[in-house]
Amino acid sequence: MPIKTILIDDERLARVELRKLLGDFSEIEIIDEAVNADEALQKIEALQPELIFLDIQMPGKTGFDLLSELDRSPEVIFTTAYHEYAIKAFEFNALDYLTKPIDPRRLADAIQKLQGNDLRRTGSTPVLAPGILSEQDQVFVKDGERCWFVKLGEIRLFESVGNYARVFFGPNKPLILKSLNALEERLDTKVFFRTNRKHIVNLRMIEKVEPYFNGGLLLELKGGEKIEVSRRQTLRFKEMMSL
Amino acid sequence: MYWVLQLGGWGTFLAGTFFLANIFNLEYPEAIIINRTIAITLTGLLVSHLLRETLKRARLMQKKLEQSIPWLLLSLALSSFIHGFLVLACFEAFDLYLSQEAIEKLNMGQLLLAVSLEMSTIMLLWLTIYCVYHYYTDSRQRQLDQLKLEGAIKQMELKTLKAHLNPHFIFNSLNSIRALVDLDPARARRAITELSNLLRGSLYTEQAQLVPLQKEIDMIRDYLALESIRFEDRMQVDWQIAADTLSLSVPPMMLQTLVENAIKHGIGTRPQGGRITISSKKLTEKNLLVLEIVNPGALSGAILQTGFGVSSTRSRLQLLYGAAARFEIVSEPEQTVKVTVSIPL
Repeated sequence: MPIKTILIDDERLARVELRKLLGDFSEIEIIDEAVNADEALQKIEALQPELIFLDIQMPGKTGFDLLSELDRSPEVIFTTAYHEYAIKAFEFNALDYLTKPIDPRRLADAIQKLQGNDLRRTGSTPVLAPGILSEQDQVFVKDGERCWFVKLGEIRLFESVGNYARVFFGPNKPLILKSLNALEERLDTKVFFRTNRKHIVNLRMIEKVEPYFNGGLLLELKGGEKIEVSRRQTLRFKEMMSL
Repeated sequence: MYWVLQLGGWGTFLAGTFFLANIFNLEYPEAIIINRTIAITLTGLLVSHLLRETLKRARLMQKKLEQSIPWLLLSLALSSFIHGFLVLACFEAFDLYLSQEAIEKLNMGQLLLAVSLEMSTIMLLWLTIYCVYHYYTDSRQRQLDQLKLEGAIKQMELKTLKAHLNPHFIFNSLNSIRALVDLDPARARRAITELSNLLRGSLYTEQAQLVPLQKEIDMIRDYLALESIRFEDRMQVDWQIAADTLSLSVPPMMLQTLVENAIKHGIGTRPQGGRITISSKKLTEKNLLVLEIVNPGALSGAILQTGFGVSSTRSRLQLLYGAAARFEIVSEPEQTVKVTVSIPL
């Protein structure tokens, strides 16, 4: 089955050129193109591509802005005319990117690497209600100059900070512009549990459970964070864990 | 350094006088010669030190040689007179007169004049050494400053060059041209010519201080032709160039940098693009050439303060024309920005 792909670039000729280069790869199926971030956002939500080629510098919103607005990010190969060092985000992460004019050999490498990844993970994903994100889904997180693609399964904890949520994974805890309630609606309840008004924890990341006063519980996560389970939620938590 | 030379110099004078007195085996008693020489040396040391302080305070050495010569002569005369007076006072106090002087029976005024004249040769020697030393060290300092200035200019040129060879623009253009090779080979060929002209222009015109406006405009046309491949119908260009301005001189790459900025901030950031207007006119009665760029967009503090185009344009105009040139960047109604450069004809 070919990989459903959308090309996103404000320049028509850049899209023409990329489409021509991708003509050599039968595994890539270009299902649409978009000329700016807003158009791309609609098309990604509607068509659910598995892969996007994304220009970083576009008028209006940048490629990074677009990714931050997506609930679930497809695989991304960035395209840019800037040198890698000109884009600080790449210093922190081995994000896949191609410099324009695109070298066909580097394009082949990037596509090969993608196929080695678990892009073709159909079958391993449990069937979820529509709109619910699985552990395998990745989200794009940007915090100032730094950015990451994070699999939901790697996230230990979401913490509410006003209109934002702080996301804990590995040694990082950047903020994303999403409310905890909105996140709760999209997360798989078998994996993520709302412990109190301020926190959602990943049940697989719990290291220790201790009784707490008032009949509540205190969870210690693998990163060392201590999270209280409210009395109201303790009963539900116990039910879930006994399953 | 001053004290080494000052004490060394007077020490040499003292030693030299004794040496000469010994060689010629003068007829006078040795004690008188020694005491006289010591008196002349010590008063000389005092007077020349005061002279140096005065010269320093008057900043005479910083002035041009022609300007300082009358003052140097005046200070020579004054210091010789003071030196002579002090020497004579010592002679009087310690009775150091030579028999000959006593015999000639000069009155005090004549004696003072004679001694002052004698002392003036010493002071002249002192002043000459002082001036020569100063002009020598000053000229070395000037050479050093000159080198520093040249270094700073080179740095600036390099920075300008780098800013003009905008890699993002060049690689985007190459990418578009690669697509055109199949789609529109004739346009691809033209684009390669335009890019070559542009690269040649930014690599080689830096050496010229001024170029005709025509040359600058040719380059901007090439640049805009390349940008229009990228922006297609998102960019429109209006040229309003007065024919009588084409032969006038402008700093190379200045208008080009400003147009690039207008595209980058004004059109590149807007999904709907826009229209850029480039105009030139000659104001004969004010003796000015006025260049204007109008583009869509809004001014932000960051562009005004750190934008390389703005700061480099300001400093270039200042260097070339001083206060006679003007640079202005203002927000206009309906989301447009106007940049105006006025330079003397």
